[in-house]
Amino acid sequence: MSKLVGAVAVAGGGIAGIQSAIDLASSGLKVYLIESSTTIGGKMAQLDKTFPTLDCSMCTLSPKLAEVARHPNIELMTYSEITGIKGDPGDFTVTVKKKATYVDYDKCTACELCVSKCPVKVPDEYNEGQNKRKAIYLAFPQAVPRVFTIDADNCLYLTKGKCGNCLKVCENDAINYEDKDEEVDINVGSVIINTGFEPYDASNLEQYRIDNPNVVTSLEFERQLSSSGPFEGHVTLDDGSHPKNIAWIQCIGSRSPEIGRNTCSSVCCMYATKEAMVAMEHDLDLKTTIFNIDVRAFGKGFEEFYQKAKNEKGIRFINSRPSGVEVDPVTDNVSLKYEAEDGSGIKREDFDMVVLSIGLTPSESSKNLAQIANVEMDDNGFIKTKIESPLETSKPGIFVCGAMQAPKDIPDTVADASGAASKASSLLSSERGTLVTEKEYPPERDIGTQIRTGVVVCRCGINIGNIVDVPDVVEYAKTLPHVVFAKEEVYACSTDSLEGIANLVEEHNLNHMVVASCTPRTHEPLFRETLMEAGLNPYLFELANIREHCSWVHQNNKEEATRKAKDIVRMSVSRANLLQPLYQEKIEFNNEALVVGGGIAGMTAALDIAQKDFKVTLLEKESELGGMMLKFTQLQDGRTTKEVLEPLIQKVESNPNITVVKEAELTEQEGSMGNFKGHIKGANIDEDIEFGVAIIATGTNEFEPEGYFSYGEYPNIITQSQLEQKLDEGVDAKDVVIIQCAGGRNDDRPYCSRACCTVAVKNAIRLKESDPGRNVTILYRDIRTFGVWEELYTKARELDVIFMRYTEDKEPEVSEKTVRIYDHLMNMDFEINYDLMVLSAPMVTPETNELLAPMFKVALDANGFFLEAHIKLRPVECATDGVFLAGTSQAPKLVDESVSQASAAASRACTILSRDFLETIGNVSVVDPDLCIGCGRCTTVCPYKAPELKEVTVETEEIVYTTKKCEINPAICKGCGCCAAECPTGAITARHFTTPQIMAVIKAYGEGI
Amino acid sequence: MTTPRSNIYQTNVYRKSSDDIWNCLTCGLCYDGCPQGVDYPEFVKEEREGKQQGDLVHKGVFTLLSDLMADLKESKTNLAESGNNDSKIGYYPGCLDFHDMFFDLDVDFKSIADSSMKLLEKMDMSAKMLQLKCCGHDQLWQGDTETFEKLKEQNTKLIKESGIETLVTSCAECYRTLSMDYDLPCEVVHISQLLKNADLGIDSNTDVTCHDACRLGRHMGEYDAPREALSSAGATVTEMAHSKNESWCCGVSTMMSCNDRSKALRKARLDEAKDTEAKVLITSCPKCLAHLNCMKTEQESVENYEFDIKDLTVFLAEQLGGK
Repeated sequence: MSKLVGAVAVAGGGIAGIQSAIDLASSGLKVYLIESSTTIGGKMAQLDKTFPTLDCSMCTLSPKLAEVARHPNIELMTYSEITGIKGDPGDFTVTVKKKATYVDYDKCTACELCVSKCPVKVPDEYNEGQNKRKAIYLAFPQAVPRVFTIDADNCLYLTKGKCGNCLKVCENDAINYEDKDEEVDINVGSVIINTGFEPYDASNLEQYRIDNPNVVTSLEFERQLSSSGPFEGHVTLDDGSHPKNIAWIQCIGSRSPEIGRNTCSSVCCMYATKEAMVAMEHDLDLKTTIFNIDVRAFGKGFEEFYQKAKNEKGIRFINSRPSGVEVDPVTDNVSLKYEAEDGSGIKREDFDMVVLSIGLTPSESSKNLAQIANVEMDDNGFIKTKIESPLETSKPGIFVCGAMQAPKDIPDTVADASGAASKASSLLSSERGTLVTEKEYPPERDIGTQIRTGVVVCRCGINIGNIVDVPDVVEYAKTLPHVVFAKEEVYACSTDSLEGIANLVEEHNLNHMVVASCTPRTHEPLFRETLMEAGLNPYLFELANIREHCSWVHQNNKEEATRKAKDIVRMSVSRANLLQPLYQEKIEFNNEALVVGGGIAGMTAALDIAQKDFKVTLLEKESELGGMMLKFTQLQDGRTTKEVLEPLIQKVESNPNITVVKEAELTEQEGSMGNFKGHIKGANIDEDIEFGVAIIATGTNEFEPEGYFSYGEYPNIITQSQLEQKLDEGVDAKDVVIIQCAGGRNDDRPYCSRACCTVAVKNAIRLKESDPGRNVTILYRDIRTFGVWEELYTKARELDVIFMRYTEDKEPEVSEKTVRIYDHLMNMDFEINYDLMVLSAPMVTPETNELLAPMFKVALDANGFFLEAHIKLRPVECATDGVFLAGTSQAPKLVDESVSQASAAASRACTILSRDFLETIGNVSVVDPDLCIGCGRCTTVCPYKAPELKEVTVETEEIVYTTKKCEINPAICKGCGCCAAECPTGAITARHFTTPQIMAVIKAYGEGI
Repeated sequence: MTTPRSNIYQTNVYRKSSDDIWNCLTCGLCYDGCPQGVDYPEFVKEEREGKQQGDLVHKGVFTLLSDLMADLKESKTNLAESGNNDSKIGYYPGCLDFHDMFFDLDVDFKSIADSSMKLLEKMDMSAKMLQLKCCGHDQLWQGDTETFEKLKEQNTKLIKESGIETLVTSCAECYRTLSMDYDLPCEVVHISQLLKNADLGIDSNTDVTCHDACRLGRHMGEYDAPREALSSAGATVTEMAHSKNESWCCGVSTMMSCNDRSKALRKARLDEAKDTEAKVLITSCPKCLAHLNCMKTEQESVENYEFDIKDLTVFLAEQLGGK
């Protein structure tokens, strides 16, 4: 290879592109993030809440938007499209067409003067056309970049040469009607394409009557639920009233081979459940019904979410898909016909509103891009990949992730995105740092001795502004001690406001800063960085949360909410005035990795890290690599597992950067990110090991379904993995019955095991194909062959595999040769003969997780899987820094998903390994050894195990005794202050929450009473 | 090294630093040691008046709670009024509920209140649970007389309004404060003084030892009541090497001075208790109970104490059972 370029082009600025860009940029590569619309954020920016935690979508996304905007290694190219890709891996030339925006982005301050004067109103895409925007517009308030764009198709000046208002009012001379499209060439080493999906166009299916105003798409409904949506969060019918009875129809544009839509869209069952749940939170009397074919709650926490929706919230799930929406020609009222589940026949029911759960389809622009990139697509229009390399397109050096590869949800997309970043950077590790610039901050200003505090009160659009009297709070803030300046902002977190805050520091010589807006969990880092850009220590910043703690919870009492906002601001100012500068410390670290578990996930992660020239130890407790996959013989795409495993094992074992240790386990483990110390013990080894990061890839086992469906009583009842082995040898059985959820989705194991349906359907096809005369019956609760694997389900039915549904309250009864099943639709029992019965048992976690979790100070979830840091946006990280999750250790997965997550874990790990040094946080807690009496209560409350007790001898006047004293490891401490609160003697100080600071807040609170 | 005499000289004669007055535990062991009969704790109390408090334990949170209680009209201790509301006997639990909120010592502090109410009923003295503010003991001894006076005034009013004739407390600090530092129109007793003559119908047959709380013992001169209460319940009391007027302190008082030296005292005290081979160490003050149990429930403790540490009322009420 002649030339390598240390830059990557990322096409598509949705959550996938954002995550890829951040990973790549943080590991020292230059990133061009290319997005066709005016802002990054993609579809996630349109969502109200996200399942299964009901977190606010924009609140988790917007810090990432801002991170991209501020990252020095990311060059943002919005309103741009790729028109050509030439070259070879390591050295591509990508041609990008930048569309004319008619606004000079460098001059626009998003002051909105132009918007008020623009006479043109057009349907607002962000709200799915349910309200209007102007021809000069910002997609949404948190948009990045936060600059206005003129919509050339609708602008009066550009179409008819009239108006010109925006040019007249713009005070910054930012309007440029002469702007032209331009093409630029960028030079990159690799390309990631992830331009996502398009929602299915429901108007293709006339029978579902999207033309009727009481029928909406799920995305329109999502915008209606959002407080930033067209009706400020109130679900509204055409006549202005609010519906009392809403129905969702699933699989609109999914699972419909008759219209050429072969795939399941993977997310609709969950988003419909979420939408129903959120709508019911808005209106307690609301009735909701979800009409479905199967409820596909297959991801982590989904099944539990579905059960809660059904059993606790009273959402009605009806296992029937209405064939259309009926509209009364006189009243325009809508009704649905469906087949009742109790066998009582066809029913008709009226609803106030019908929501069509539209699926995820490949977008036209994605198809164009695929052609430009010259990568292969599958029959459904998704990018073709292999199970063992789900992120690699047919063209080397070009990678794919997210919903462009297959329909998938946010966590899978985020994992993919990190994984693709890992793949895209593997080739370029030698070029790290060559094209990027370190972010430099000005030296800290002399803050003097006089406290000068500034206060910015944020309206958060209507979120705060419509409830709290913001100008009143600003005036009040000006009266508080040491406050020398106060003002309001519409969105304090927008890029221009942040710059404004930095300028305020300069103009008013501020040395302490308070922003009254939202939660520090998401927004504190942004404001702190702003202070650093202004030459102030970041710890001189204080956030007053007047949104979550005030406007959101006191919507019905504006006066009291304003009073409380003042209380909160007064308390924050009292604390801000006492804040002290704090400094981070550099720590040397070990840049080797340990991967625990040598299955496909562990091997993939190890190989990804090794390819970036870091040393890896791969630990496997069995005598050979391969893990769970060794028990299976065929992949769901029909190839053998050997075909995939053997070359991978060979690559791993021959890689000079990987040390494979078999028949051994980690027996001890301590330390923290960068400096872990462990002990490995096994058949041929008994030694200490040091490493900087760890990836847990311990996988799962197949549950032994003892006690379920007569397993263990008769020899002809086996599990799915036993069937896999038999299938290789040839199965001698005429009648085969497969039972799904054998020991899963029940009180003991309430989760769905995700892969079993696809595996069972695949094996049913194998059974049928090897002997078409054989009877194969699958007894199931919901068939969850999500995404592209829906095609296997279709194929199985075409091959006459019989599918019969059962419910948990009426399980099939198994005797030696027959199984009895109750059919709901027929309302009668059936008896089926079998020679061979196969049970699909769930994946269960190995017992060793219980030992490993405390060693790494990470948590397990209720089902024994490792707990990720954030279910949506940090699916491969643990709450403990430097520990990552790959494969089924986090939750059940299919092979391709395990592989992609393993690459993601490797990518996240390499963002650490590629650093020159680690840094502590500034606000670590410290112990005064003279005051510590060694009671050890800090060790019980610290979530990170930062305090350690060390033995000392204490000599007092009369008594000499041995005790212990606490030391806090600054590399581990996160400054939460639990230890300080627990310490009886006051020996521990939480440096950013000192007693005087807290007392000041409490006293300030008291002043208001 | 600081001594009472050096302190008096530093503050009263040389009028220099008064830092060392914060070191005194005000346990009163010096009452008997002083040849001139100087009431040194009283001197310390007066000297601290209006001065900046020394290091408060628990980041001053208990002090803050009392401060807030003094200023916020409706704020009282948390245990709801209950019991016999017509009774002329009132029981005041003190700050037990706050102890439960903050301490993680395997001790259920509220059970002291429950046990006290149960024992009073057993003695045919069914009482009314009083809802007052903090007695102000710690404020007084931390030198914050202003807050103490506020609490005293409000409590006195509340007690008068309640119409009780006898105020019973299970806390040695409350007992001392309400008896000596308040001027109440009713009788104040520590519950041990009622229990000493009671026939509870218990035959405990347990080896116990008795820790004298400084406020009950040396400050108020009550050494015998808890012992008699234990003996009449059938328990065998073995005395520690230092007991009654020579008793060692639990190590912390007035929510100040938790440090190596006070821990050394605590260790010495528990070592003495261990030497008696008693099964239970009995206290009559929730603060002693907290401090001694803190030592006992240390994480990775270098010492191991097998015996239980219990409040007198809890020890006795447990054996009442369903009787």
